[in-house]
Amino acid sequence: MKLAATLEDVKAASSTCLRCSWCAYGPWPENLPLCPIYSRFPSFTFSGGGFLFLALALLEGKIEFSQSIADFAFSCSSCNACDTKCNVIHSHKSHVYILDAIRVMRREAVKRGFIPDGVARKIYDEVKKTGDYGRANGFKLPDKIRSDNANTVFFTECAHSKSRKGIAEATINLLEKIGSPVGQFAEKGCCGSTLYDFGFWDELEPLVKANWAKMKPMKGKKFVFFDPHCQEFIVKRYPEILPDFSPIKNQHFSQLLADAFKGGRLKSKNSGKIKVSYHDPCYLGRGLGIFDAPREVVGALKGVELVEMVRNRENSFCCGARTLGDYVPNLSEDTARERIKEFEVTGADLLITACPYCKDQFQRVMPAKDKTRVKDMTELVDERT
Amino acid sequence: MVTKTKTKTVQNVNQAACQELKKAIGAEKVRDDEITLVTHGRINHGFDPSMPFHMPSMVVFPETREDVVETLKIANKYKISVNPVGIAQMAIPTAEGDIILDQRHRDKIIEINTDSGYAVLEPGVSHDKLTSTLRGTGFKCEVGTMTGSATVLAGGLTGGSKSFSNRHLSSILDLEVVLPDVTIFNTGSSMFPGVGPHVRARPYADLAGLFTGSNGTLGVITRFAVRLHPVNEVSRVHVAGFSNFSDAVDYVKDLVNHNIPEHCIIWNWHMYHTWPLDSEGMKTVMPEILKMDIRKPPEGTPYSMVTSFLSGYEEQVEFYEKMCVKIALKCHGRAYPREEVEKRWPQTMAGLKQQYEDYSYREGTHWARGRWSGFVVFAEPKDIKEVEKLAVKEFAELGPRARPINNYAHPFDYGRTFLFRYAGFPETDDVETRMKIGKKTMELCALALKKYRAVPIRGMGESEGEKAYLDVLGRIKKALDPNNILNRAAGAGLYKGGR
Repeated sequence: MKLAATLEDVKAASSTCLRCSWCAYGPWPENLPLCPIYSRFPSFTFSGGGFLFLALALLEGKIEFSQSIADFAFSCSSCNACDTKCNVIHSHKSHVYILDAIRVMRREAVKRGFIPDGVARKIYDEVKKTGDYGRANGFKLPDKIRSDNANTVFFTECAHSKSRKGIAEATINLLEKIGSPVGQFAEKGCCGSTLYDFGFWDELEPLVKANWAKMKPMKGKKFVFFDPHCQEFIVKRYPEILPDFSPIKNQHFSQLLADAFKGGRLKSKNSGKIKVSYHDPCYLGRGLGIFDAPREVVGALKGVELVEMVRNRENSFCCGARTLGDYVPNLSEDTARERIKEFEVTGADLLITACPYCKDQFQRVMPAKDKTRVKDMTELVDERT
Repeated sequence: MVTKTKTKTVQNVNQAACQELKKAIGAEKVRDDEITLVTHGRINHGFDPSMPFHMPSMVVFPETREDVVETLKIANKYKISVNPVGIAQMAIPTAEGDIILDQRHRDKIIEINTDSGYAVLEPGVSHDKLTSTLRGTGFKCEVGTMTGSATVLAGGLTGGSKSFSNRHLSSILDLEVVLPDVTIFNTGSSMFPGVGPHVRARPYADLAGLFTGSNGTLGVITRFAVRLHPVNEVSRVHVAGFSNFSDAVDYVKDLVNHNIPEHCIIWNWHMYHTWPLDSEGMKTVMPEILKMDIRKPPEGTPYSMVTSFLSGYEEQVEFYEKMCVKIALKCHGRAYPREEVEKRWPQTMAGLKQQYEDYSYREGTHWARGRWSGFVVFAEPKDIKEVEKLAVKEFAELGPRARPINNYAHPFDYGRTFLFRYAGFPETDDVETRMKIGKKTMELCALALKKYRAVPIRGMGESEGEKAYLDVLGRIKKALDPNNILNRAAGAGLYKGGR
């Protein structure tokens, strides 16, 4: 399958939209909006279908690329809810989805020099300057558990989020507790997921090729990820970009923890009672279909009660971290606030997640006194084992 | 140059109207940014390849009835066309420079009356929202969805999308309408102070009928009441198969005349094999279906399947099931035991259970590898049999690119009339086949009308009788909407001599 790379590639799929708005809503009976931008202002424009019609209008020359188009396309948080809910686009022969059309629009806007101010601009400038968006994260497995011959390899992705350090420390602690030797894979710069999401595609292919060249000799091994964005991108998009790609065994760290609990290699301590609510990260859940493992991990912790938010699993509501456009002012923060309100309704003590971006985003908008109520699942497990 | 000057003037007028409206109802409810406008425009796309491009001048999201009133006042002042829409805007018949009036933010359920059996709703209430609210009340709604989250109002106005009742043609009981001159009135019994909308038209003429199906050309509906029906002790689906459509119609007529089912659908074999498959199911089942001729179902597969929704007390439903078996035999068909249906067509049974037994009809996966192109008519029972024969023959001759070809039929008003839908699903980018089907559809509608007295759901405007009717409707339109501001594109045929 080839990566959808031009507006022409997404034309036929865009033409399937019936304007039914199904892409914006969660399932019956709650019927709550799942699309963050639609949730903020319900209208056809601010829905997956709106993006598809915009793609068609751009193709037909009814509207020109502009800063507004870039701001609009970057306002989508790429949460993938629309593609999960749309009933018509899935059966289309081209296997092009709504998010593909949005990414293509970002790509085309970037090509014409239209980039939203703020974070997107910073990423773009860095990518243009260095040809990369990688960050060394200082993650180093201790010698006692590190083995280059191990069949499990830790994919230590680059460090963009503030949370990364805490998550990395907790991860190392947990790997020590589990005790099985693991190898380490440090990607060459960025795996490409950020560049891909935001349309910075000129530099994408060299990075992807360089990473694959490093991964290829290890492809018989199992790669373990703690950033679902990297995992989803490598598993789903590398095959579309690289002609010589062959599938890799892969696992999210939550799955490794769930297995460790089941196998008795990780044991929960007797700690105080606590209620937690688990936020499904979009790329781990809707992207990779991993919903159960994080819940199994929480279930294995003594004294921890899981209370679900109304929107959960494939109907989870995004944290808004990847909203980089400001077509709707404060959309990113308001999306996180809406999710936090939903968390507060559960009466849980802690909001836990399994993606560094989600943790960063929630902590960013949480009142200062409550910031410690947001944790990555890895940190919670480390504390209670 | 003249055109450019004219366009500029129109733009200036629209901009002035937009500013005035923002001031009147609040800027946040009026959007005129280019992206909003272009995404609400008519764009040449898979739904209709022949759509010319039109772009509205603003999109208004009223939150109150007063916002609607203000919009109409300003539209009248500037003589700009207003196009009222709901959540599902499948085809927006936008005229250039229209004001789109999108009432999706008006989504309150005002009353659920479980004594008389009606719900009073704002126009933006979705089907899912109503059916969710009805859970646990012991009542259900008879309106289908058409598309996923379509407004109940849209479903209620289009007679063909009812999912739960053979017994009425319209599920609308009462409408609150704002006329272009901003007169506000109710069409049903709630016109009387303190009275609920339990009677559709007493003591005067039925004006609800005037506004339903008028595509917003005569007034803007700002509140409405729909029928609700009790959920009985037992609700069960019954399935019978027939080797031809004609026998299936006789069976349905007999059942309905004996007041047995609440609702029936006749499906052709393509349809019941593919509804409501999920996308994975579609990928495996559909390629096989595409290889077969619509006219020849595989050995052992009934050509038509009738699903009947039976409800009542347990004893009553058991009796109904016996009657279904007896009448199926009388009509040369056979009743299928539930276990057999579940085994042979599990996805169909799952969909039917959801629709009829769980009262939560939601759209399944559409066959999206292509686009619905087809025709819909109403006809009397004996005529609908001929219409089916004609349609099957003609569509089959369009060749494999028009496939898969689905059809289904419902009885309405106790079987006095049948609705028949027929569709081919050519590839989205196969414009040639879609145009061919479009042409064939028009020919078939004309032929079905001429030979088999079948009434098309969209007017043709060709016969003398139809012209006379349209003339009367046009006079009403002119009286109610002298500036022709309501849905000018859809109302074009009604309004002569206006601006």
